[in-house]
Amino acid sequence: MSKRPLHALSALAGIAVPGRFGKPDGEPSVMIGELSGLGLATVASRQGQDAALKSAVLQAYGVQLPESSRVAQGSAVSFIGYGPGQWLAVSESLAHEALAGDLSQRLAGLASISDQSGGRTVLRVSGPRARDVLAKGLPVDLDPRAFPLGSAAASVIGHMGVQLWQVDDTRTYDIAVFRSLSQSFWRWLTASAAEFGYEVSGQN
Amino acid sequence: MASAQGKRLASGGLIDRTRTLPFTFDGETLSGHPGDTLASALLASGKTLVGRSFKYHRPRGILTAGCEEPNALVELRNGARREPNTRATTIELYDGLDAASQNRWPSLKLDLLAANQLFSPIFGAGFYYKTFMWPASFWEKVYEPAIRRAAGLGRAAEAPDPDHYEKANAFCDVLVTGAGASGLAAALAAARSGSRVILCEEDFRLGGRLLAERDEIDGRPAMDWVKAAEAELEALPDCRIMRRISVVGVYDGGTYAALERVNDHVPVPPAHEPRQRLWRIVAKRAVLCAGAIERPVVFGDNDRPGIMLAGAVRTYLNRFGVAPGNRAVIFADNDDAFRTAVDLVGAGVEVAALIDARKGSSASAQAAAEKANARYLAGAVIKRVRGGQAVKGVEIRDQSGKIERLDCDLIAMSGGWSPTVHLTTHLNGKPKWDEGLAALVPGSLPPGMSVAGAALGQFGLASCLASGQAAGAEAARACGFTPSIQALPAASDENTAASAVWQVAGGKGKAFVDFQNDVTVSDVKLAAREGFRIPEHLKRYTTLGMATDQGKTANANGAAVLAGVTGRYVGAVGTTTFRPPFTPVAIAAFAGHHRGQDFRPARLAPSHGWAEEQGAYFVETGPWLRALYYPWEGEEPQATVNREVATVRTNVGVCDVSTLGKIDVQGKDAGVFLDRVYANTFSSLPVGRARYGLMLREDGFVLDDGTTARLKDDHYFMTTTTANAVRVMQHLEFCQQCLWPELGVQMVSVTEQWAQFAVAGPRARDVLQGVVDPAHDLSNAAFPYLAAGDVTVCGGTPARLFRLSFSGELAYEVAVPARFGETMMRAILEAGAPYGIAPYGTEALGVLRIEKGHPAGGELNGQTTAHDLGLGKLVSTKKDFIGRFMAARPALTDPARPSLVGLRPVDREDRLRAGAHLIPRGEDATAKNDQGYVTSIAFSPSLGHWLGLGLLSRGPERHGEIVRAYDPLRGDDVLVEVCPPCFIDSAGERLRV
Repeated sequence: MSKRPLHALSALAGIAVPGRFGKPDGEPSVMIGELSGLGLATVASRQGQDAALKSAVLQAYGVQLPESSRVAQGSAVSFIGYGPGQWLAVSESLAHEALAGDLSQRLAGLASISDQSGGRTVLRVSGPRARDVLAKGLPVDLDPRAFPLGSAAASVIGHMGVQLWQVDDTRTYDIAVFRSLSQSFWRWLTASAAEFGYEVSGQN
Repeated sequence: MASAQGKRLASGGLIDRTRTLPFTFDGETLSGHPGDTLASALLASGKTLVGRSFKYHRPRGILTAGCEEPNALVELRNGARREPNTRATTIELYDGLDAASQNRWPSLKLDLLAANQLFSPIFGAGFYYKTFMWPASFWEKVYEPAIRRAAGLGRAAEAPDPDHYEKANAFCDVLVTGAGASGLAAALAAARSGSRVILCEEDFRLGGRLLAERDEIDGRPAMDWVKAAEAELEALPDCRIMRRISVVGVYDGGTYAALERVNDHVPVPPAHEPRQRLWRIVAKRAVLCAGAIERPVVFGDNDRPGIMLAGAVRTYLNRFGVAPGNRAVIFADNDDAFRTAVDLVGAGVEVAALIDARKGSSASAQAAAEKANARYLAGAVIKRVRGGQAVKGVEIRDQSGKIERLDCDLIAMSGGWSPTVHLTTHLNGKPKWDEGLAALVPGSLPPGMSVAGAALGQFGLASCLASGQAAGAEAARACGFTPSIQALPAASDENTAASAVWQVAGGKGKAFVDFQNDVTVSDVKLAAREGFRIPEHLKRYTTLGMATDQGKTANANGAAVLAGVTGRYVGAVGTTTFRPPFTPVAIAAFAGHHRGQDFRPARLAPSHGWAEEQGAYFVETGPWLRALYYPWEGEEPQATVNREVATVRTNVGVCDVSTLGKIDVQGKDAGVFLDRVYANTFSSLPVGRARYGLMLREDGFVLDDGTTARLKDDHYFMTTTTANAVRVMQHLEFCQQCLWPELGVQMVSVTEQWAQFAVAGPRARDVLQGVVDPAHDLSNAAFPYLAAGDVTVCGGTPARLFRLSFSGELAYEVAVPARFGETMMRAILEAGAPYGIAPYGTEALGVLRIEKGHPAGGELNGQTTAHDLGLGKLVSTKKDFIGRFMAARPALTDPARPSLVGLRPVDREDRLRAGAHLIPRGEDATAKNDQGYVTSIAFSPSLGHWLGLGLLSRGPERHGEIVRAYDPLRGDDVLVEVCPPCFIDSAGERLRV
């Protein structure tokens, strides 16, 4: 009987290797890192429960559910709106399935929860040229005047669906891509960042 | 050894004389300076013959100094980087540049194909249409290859382009296209207000015509103003100046396409940098300051090397410090052109005469002649040009009809200027005729665009500055900014009055209208005689305005000649439609990152890394890469598939089925919702059970199938086929949002979340017991066929287990979060090793389902009904659902419809072919006798022969009948026996043990 516990593998295992790549001289102006161990889940408001869901989320997680394509950052769980009555919940402390479990319990009857923690690769892109890299695929204006802190977007990069949100006001963006597309996305990202010089960090 | 730049002036020009750049042209080493274009460097070296024309192989020189160049097309670079048809006038000179003339054989000076022009009487407009019509079979094999050798432009590279290209997005309040006087004024006005400005300039230097003229602004050389404007714009944080970028297209919503030649000005792009970048610029407002394009005059032999547009002559003199000739005449119909005389003389070029084609004389032209110490001939025309490969002189007919000969090696000509209106028409705007300017000016504009300066027909410098500043300020205001009122820089408006003469009547030699396509006045006349009287028709018939320059120097003259021939007013003739791109864009730039491996994104299954390790052979299934089979070393593909199928039938196999679409359907009305989208019933499905489901389209045909399990009272888990996953999700969302918003149901795709593996074969339970934690009873009684539920595997990893079978064997599907997918595959194989487990790919999966007669892609083809597929009994008669009503239409219930049957060859050695037509035995293979076709085939290792599934008229009634399977495509004609579609275990006992 094979009862060794299964170990998790990043979709970029062996591909997102830490180090300095692309243009070799000068400070790297783009930093790329995979956020592993995140809890990810979709939250869809149940019929007629919008108000109740909002107050339950506020009470449980201290976060006001955003109405539109924005991110509401909580201490434990952040919620990113991606459609009417639909959010992607992201958590570092409630890892993997724990987030969906917690949400299902606290929001029972108010929202339909689906675990997505295995279904996305989340990359953090930062640095002074992060916006120039993303501009090579993302048809969204990331200028702070158009995309202030707290903004989020469900969009497309290189024919690949992405969800993107701004983490802080220092040009740091988190991007969720479908797990199966991780390698194609990685090739786009690194090809686009190469001219600026980029650094891949170890898993966060 | 670089030869001397004999035509370089002693001083002047915006070139860096401290550095010399060697380059080669047709193998000869020449030199130029930084700041040169290939054209200016060639002229500096005395090279005036640079190409051969498209059809007649006539010697050609350099006509222009910009992107409108029709003649000076060269092959740039060599090997894999060879780029044909690049315009010498836009190529920035670099050290080691290698260019070759094109469309000549054996050499530029001796081109044997120039004999074509001897036959020009038969090469007229429509020649190809009229001549190469018969016999039709000759077109591909004889005519086209011969024509392609004789006519045409440069040769494309024969190896893949080693450079990379990319795309990028940019956003701004105000996009200014063109950085001449108007564009700079517009950008300054807009940027000073605080708006986000992007200024795009095609050239590598800002300044536009100011680079080429000796104008003054604020009492100083205009370039001083340009430099100050450039410095100010550079310093503004929200202004982005882009150089070497052409705005090539206008699209909806203020979207503009622009091609940036990032590294075309260096031999090889620096590591990690692209050669070109295609921008998508989204701007709230746009100010078009694209300038104007000078028109040639149509006269006999007006294409000889040494005949150049007057504006280009000034560009070469003033910007590049090059004298394009030693002795010039100027032939024009406007005062602007005659000021070239002053510039020529200033550079030490002798000016023989100013030939003014207008009736009556012009004081301003006369004054220019006096300054240049040249003769002024009013009301005169060039009747004939002497010289073949270079101009040697002209014959002039003066006002009185007297003929006079003059020697010269340069003719500066000008038929006036046409505003560059192209971008204003990309969203169907129609330019309008301005009689005063004798030119088309912008008419209706794309939303959000304004036009300033020469592009608007405001040719004078003061007007350019004023209209640019006003347009820039207005654009910023429209974006919510408050531009301050600025003093206009002081400049004067030169005399820009035009009196278009267009063409010289009664001259000698071919009078070219379109240089690039060798279209002459006689071609236009012929076309008009044959009824092609509209510019669009004229273009298609004569090729006037086609190819890389799209008639930038030809269209206006073409319309004028057509007007003359057809007795119409020029403004009434109209124009062809200008479409994107404004200048040629390489396909590579449109592709960007998406070539080779990244032609399109590939979705990889969770076990992909492991499968690669096994040496799996992959196949594209929609966007997915799936393992087709897992060959052992030295094993033939068919043997591999046979082995994989046999392993499933006798022992156990494992297959990654994660690519199936997976949808969580939740909410209090989830069951009701599924009843409405599926033809069969799901609200009655008990929790912990799965059911096969069939989904119809609105029109009654089958949309998709799959299994759906009920995990909780209000939580169903639906699977779809791999191919239809997205379509089904769209369908469900449409149904929920538009048809039944009153239902409380939520859907979300969880395809990516779960890695799912089919474990199939008589030993499947034994294998599962090795991975599923012991707390879960997998016995047939506790977990029977179609059971479904949550389990844990390998010591606590959450998982879902389904007892489903596509193969007809005892089988399960086990799902774990995708991050465990690869290790789960390894765990299953480890647990299965004692039972002889082997992985199987999609090919074996297909064979297994064909042996069982399950419909899949070949049968779910969008043209089959539930009944056609033998699934009629699934369709509920007790409830309403999508497709119910339309499925009852007579044509869909006709018993003669082709329906699913099994097929086996009468001679068991015969192979079947998918797509073969089914024809009654003994009947002819005619459409009338066509009763169906073979939809899927496989070699069945279980039965030892080929078998197939097909759709045959009244199929289920014809079991036992022998029919022909006729495949004209591959020349097969075999007899097959019609039988039930299920070939193995038709009672379905194996999957229930």
